Amino acid sequence: MIKKGDIILIVAVSAMVIAGIIGFNFYKNTHKDVKKIAVIKKDNKVIRTIDIDNVENPERITVEGKYTNIILVEKGRIRFENADCPDLVCVKTGWLSEKGDLAVCLPNQAIIKIEGETEEVDGITY
Amino acid sequence: MKTTKKLVLLSLMLSQALVLSVVESWIPVPVPVPGVKLGLANIITMVIIAFMGTADTFILVVLRCLLTSMFGGGISVFLFSIAGGLLSAVVMLVLHKKFSRVFSVVGISIAGAISHNIGQIMVASVIMKEISVLGYLPVLLISGIITGCFVGFCSSFLIEALKKTNIF
Repeated sequence: MIKKGDIILIVAVSAMVIAGIIGFNFYKNTHKDVKKIAVIKKDNKVIRTIDIDNVENPERITVEGKYTNIILVEKGRIRFENADCPDLVCVKTGWLSEKGDLAVCLPNQAIIKIEGETEEVDGITY
Repeated sequence: MKTTKKLVLLSLMLSQALVLSVVESWIPVPVPVPGVKLGLANIITMVIIAFMGTADTFILVVLRCLLTSMFGGGISVFLFSIAGGLLSAVVMLVLHKKFSRVFSVVGISIAGAISHNIGQIMVASVIMKEISVLGYLPVLLISGIITGCFVGFCSSFLIEALKKTNIF
């Protein structure tokens, strides 16, 4: 029942996936010591940017739209805590703490991602 | 095939595809990634591709996407499902018509599942203007292989069984 092309297809796609994962890990590990900035976006607009390593007190942010998402920020991590969208994919994603981590609520078009920010060096004198 | 018979068969297939998408929404998905799902309705698409023509396949896919998004979702759900649905229909039709010596029903179904996921994530990144959504692509490709395999085996059993009847 299985033909040659099926096996080739599975192997080729798996190879692509492995290459993608390696590339993504490479991105994660570059500039590991930079500031981690959580960016909250809704409908293509940036709502908040938070330096999650410098969060003193936990904070809840409500994102209103077609549905409502409640985002919880703690020191070093951020997550969708609660939502009233039908699939709850965003809540199930859990905590984000690493650069490149991503949580999406497609029904509400809300997104949290963690970006690295290189500390800016204006000039070096010796 | 007579027009009336064709009409009845297509309507039956459409209603089965709709029921399968409703059943699918009851099954919990273990991976928290948007777009990962079983794709049970693809069983019906495979049957139509195997027994009926290109035009019928497109009619069925478009109507299915339209009706599922009417039942639950809205315009953005429609955009996601139509992008994935049409892309996977095109890929599966081409593979079935031109490369069925190389690919079995299982392989065609895997290709369909993968292209469905790719189409969906492309539309998601365009709608949200957010390229980082493409970071989900590896997970979606893996899930495409697994669900495509499952759906492919289901469809090939169904197609074998239907070949023994004289429905088509």
